[in-house]
Formats: sequence, C-alpha cells, structure tokens
Amino acid sequence: MPDAFLTVRGIEAGYGGRQILSGVDLDVVAGEAVALLGANGSGKSTLLNTLSGFVRSRRGSIRLGGEELAGLSPHRIFRHGIVQVSQARDLFPEMSVEENLRLGAWTRGGDATRLLQSVYASFPRLAERRTQTVQLMSGGEQQMVAIGRALMSQPRLLLLDEPSGGLAPAFVSEIASIVTSLKRRHVTMVMVEQNLRLALAVADRIVVLRDGVVVQQQSAGGDEEQIVRQIYL
Amino acid sequence: MLTLLPQLLISGISTGMLYALIALSMTVVYRATTVVNFGHGDMVAAGAYAVFVFGLGFGLPFLVALALAIVLLFAVGFATQRLLLQPIVGGPHLSLAMMALAIGYTLRGVLRLEWGNETINPQRPYLQDAYMFGNVVITTDDVVICGIVLLLLVVLFLLFQATPLGKVIQATFQSQRGAALVGINVPLFHAFMWGGGTALGAIGGVMLSMIAPLTPDLGQWTLVQGFAAMTLGGFGSLGGAVVGGILLGIIQKLLGFYLNTVFIEITGYLVPIVVLLLRPQGLFGRRAAVRV
Ligand SMILES: Nc1ncnc2c1ncn2[C@@H]1O[C@H](COP(=O)(O)OP(=O)(O)OP(=O)(O)O)[C@@H](O)[C@H]1O
Ligand SMILES: [Mg+2]
Repeated sequence: MPDAFLTVRGIEAGYGGRQILSGVDLDVVAGEAVALLGANGSGKSTLLNTLSGFVRSRRGSIRLGGEELAGLSPHRIFRHGIVQVSQARDLFPEMSVEENLRLGAWTRGGDATRLLQSVYASFPRLAERRTQTVQLMSGGEQQMVAIGRALMSQPRLLLLDEPSGGLAPAFVSEIASIVTSLKRRHVTMVMVEQNLRLALAVADRIVVLRDGVVVQQQSAGGDEEQIVRQIYL
Repeated sequence: MLTLLPQLLISGISTGMLYALIALSMTVVYRATTVVNFGHGDMVAAGAYAVFVFGLGFGLPFLVALALAIVLLFAVGFATQRLLLQPIVGGPHLSLAMMALAIGYTLRGVLRLEWGNETINPQRPYLQDAYMFGNVVITTDDVVICGIVLLLLVVLFLLFQATPLGKVIQATFQSQRGAALVGINVPLFHAFMWGGGTALGAIGGVMLSMIAPLTPDLGQWTLVQGFAAMTLGGFGSLGGAVVGGILLGIIQKLLGFYLNTVFIEITGYLVPIVVLLLRPQGLFGRRAAVRV
C-alpha cells in the first residue's frame, strides 16, 4: 500500500462529558475514495467534523501530507485543504447559486471565474439556475451547490457527509455520477454514506465505524452481507 | 394644534435618525453573533465621554478627538468579544447576554467614578442656528444629525451591497457554519463586527451628547431607545432598525406633545410591549423569536 495522504491515529472526541470517538485510526491514500459507514449515531459526522476542526479532538493525531492538524481551528484546517460538505449543507440561503459558489473560492483564492466554469461544466443544472436563490431550490439541487461550493475551494481532501441523504432516487444516481467523476479527477475523498449500494458503487474502500472505533476496513468489492452485519448487528 | 404637526415631524425625524444609527449599530452586533449587547448603550455613552476627554481634556481639535474616540471604541468592542465573550461562546446564550450586561454596568460604574455628580453639556463643533421655513424651524443640529446619519447609511449600504467584503459579511450573517466551511475565521469576524458596531454606536453617542445632557446614565436611555427601534423595525433587520428608529423618534414627539410629556420618557418602553404583543416580528422581521 502506498504512503497514506491522511493519517488518523487514536482520535478521541465527543461533546461535553460524552465521548463519541474512542480511538479512531484511519489511513487514506492520495486519490482514494473512502466510504465511511455506520449506524445512525455511530459518530460518522463527528469524525468528519473532527477532521475539519469543528469538533476538537481530545487525543490523537490527524496528519495531512505529513502536517499535524489536530487541535487547529476550522479556518486553519481549511487552509491546509480539508474542505467539508456538511450533512446540513449549510449554504447561504438568501444568496444565489453563483454567489454561494464564488464564496467557496473567497479565502482560498485562485481564479474564481475559471473554477466557476469547471463547476458549471460538472453541474449543468447549476449553470441554468445560477441566479436563483438557493433556499428556493430542491434538496438535490442544494446538495449540488454544496458540493460545487466545496470544489470552488480546491480541496486536497474532500469530506462529504451523506451527499445522498434525503434525496429522491433520481438525485441519488446523479450524485453518484458526480462522485464518480470527482474520483476520476483523483479528488481524495472521505464520504459518509448510508446508502450501501451507492457506497459500494463509488468508493474504493469501505470503513465501518462502530462504538467510536473503526471495526472494519475492506475494499469495496468485498462481501456485502458481511459489511451490513458489521454495521447493524 | 395640528399646525405644529410639521414641526413635530421634523424634530421627530431628527432624533429618530439618531435612534436609527444606534439601533443599526446594535443590529450589526446582533446579526454577527446573535447576542443582544445589553451593554451597548454604555459603550455609546463611553464614546461621547471619550470625545469629551480627548477634546476638552487633551485639547485636541474636535475631528481628531472624534477619530480617536472611534478607534478607541472599536478597540473596546473588539476586545470585549475576543477576551470576554469568545471564551464562553459555547455556553448557554443567556450567559453571553449576562456578560454583555455586566460589561455595560462596569463601564457605567467607571464613568460614574469620574463624572457621577456632574452633567456635561459638550460644545458643538459648529454654531447652533435655526432656519425658518414658514412656521417650521429647522436647527443646525437637525441638519448635522440627519446629514451624518444619512451619509453613514449610504456608506454602509454600499459596503454591504456593492463590495466583496459586504458579500462575505452578509454570507456570515446568513450562516456562520457556512462561513466557516468556506474558510472564514468566524471568531475574528465576530470581533470585527463588535468593534464596528461599537464604533458606529459611539458616533451616535457623540451626536446624542450635543442635543441631550451627558451623564453616566446616558447609556441606559440609549439602550432602551435602540432596543425599542430594533423591536419595532423587526429584530435583526438592518433596514428595519433604520425605519424603526425614525418611527420611534416621531412617535415619541407626537405622544409627548399631544398626550403628555411623560411619553417622551416612556415611549421607548411602551413600543416594545405593544409590538411584541401585536406583531412580534416587527415591521420587517422574519423570525418571531429573539434569542437572548
Ligand atoms: N453537537 C452535539 N452535541 C452533543 N451531542 C452530539 C452533537 N452532535 C452529535 N451528538 C451525538 O453524538 C453521537 C454521534 O452523532 P453523529 O452525528 O456523529 O452520528 P452519525 O453517525 O453522523 O449519525 P447520522 O447517521 O444520524 O448522521 C450521537 O449520539 C449524537 O446524538
Ligand atoms: Mg451524520
């Protein structure tokens, strides 16, 4: 296995007195797409939020390309290139699609207009609706804006928290093809996904989180039933 | 009786403009951090005292004193957020409001130490005059206050609507989490908004001290008017704060003249009561609930 790009070791984190993650280890190779699975409340979002700095880890190490990031605040971690699409999407509701997208490039810099062209090329639907206020859009469209906004930040590591969550089947397959195309462009990704079929279809590797630790890592071609058993039983 | 109506409207608008500025400065802080700064009035008063000290105490020209006071009050607001509020920002919302209130009272206490027994009537940096238009009198105060507030409103409007920084400010108002997700340093942003809001309030305080006697308790009055204007206009709405402030000034003058002068004192308390009962979202507000 090549050297890992993201190395997570012994991460412990939680809320108040309550520990949610109790020693998470995870390696992600550059260009790899990892799907993070686990039952509701198993701490998947908490892990992503710890990687992006929204939840402070109490112990452990998070290294990206060799640099230690554990304990840094979200904007510093963002500067190192970890960009998250959160479960709630957290768009700017009263702004247009294009304004939301452009804000993705604001602190990272770069040629926003060129980035915008490339996001519109991947999401033609957003190009058509560029002046629309995002709070008036459907859940699936909002998810595209959220992913597009993250791409405007030119992530070195993209964290996706349930990109297909709550979406109609038509949108789920659209999201799947978007994720697949990101993978073809060698965007390194950690993706939380409840939809096992989607996870197996797009990810290189499956990681299962349970009781605050990683209980299984396997390549996506593996035994489906075995994965389900690990998650829920 | 009605012949005095135009005059009352004019002076109502003039004081209302001041309330508008103060309500707007409170709204900037509130929108940024969702904390109602119950110490804001005292910071406004501190701004007026700062100009007085820099001007009369140190003998500096008015504009220099004003500039220094603005910088000082910006620093006060910035430091308040950074050093006193940020450390407890994860805690209950009520403790943030309590902290702001306590800071205000502390500031007022400091002002009382020095000026507890005196009333200051600061010199205007211009000559007060009055102009007759038919039977309406317009004073230089009216012109100066309306002019400066309008100028500030235009500058702020342009900043918010027509600059990249304004976009970022609006974005952060709309979603703090979203702002953090695009790499904005949200705690630093909060500190800048506290600084900016406090400095803006201080400008209001300086003008207020020219038309009303300056005492350490000025902050109390100011906070009530600002709060009333915000509630009337719709809590958290920038435009609402301006309209609410102007309306409050007019209502105060009309009730004070036609009903009883006591209403000049109590309109600021009555307006929130009536608005919260009849139309809690105010004129332009969208959210009915105010988080303390
Ligand atoms: N901000 C918070 N404060 C306190 N507890 C929280 C917070 N966020 C999550 N939790 C708790 O931490 C546990 C893990 O939550 P988390 O959101 O990480 O789970 P998840 O695996 O993402 O679940 P889901 O599949 O429902 O999104 C849950 O028990 C949840 O109630
Ligand atoms: Mg989750």
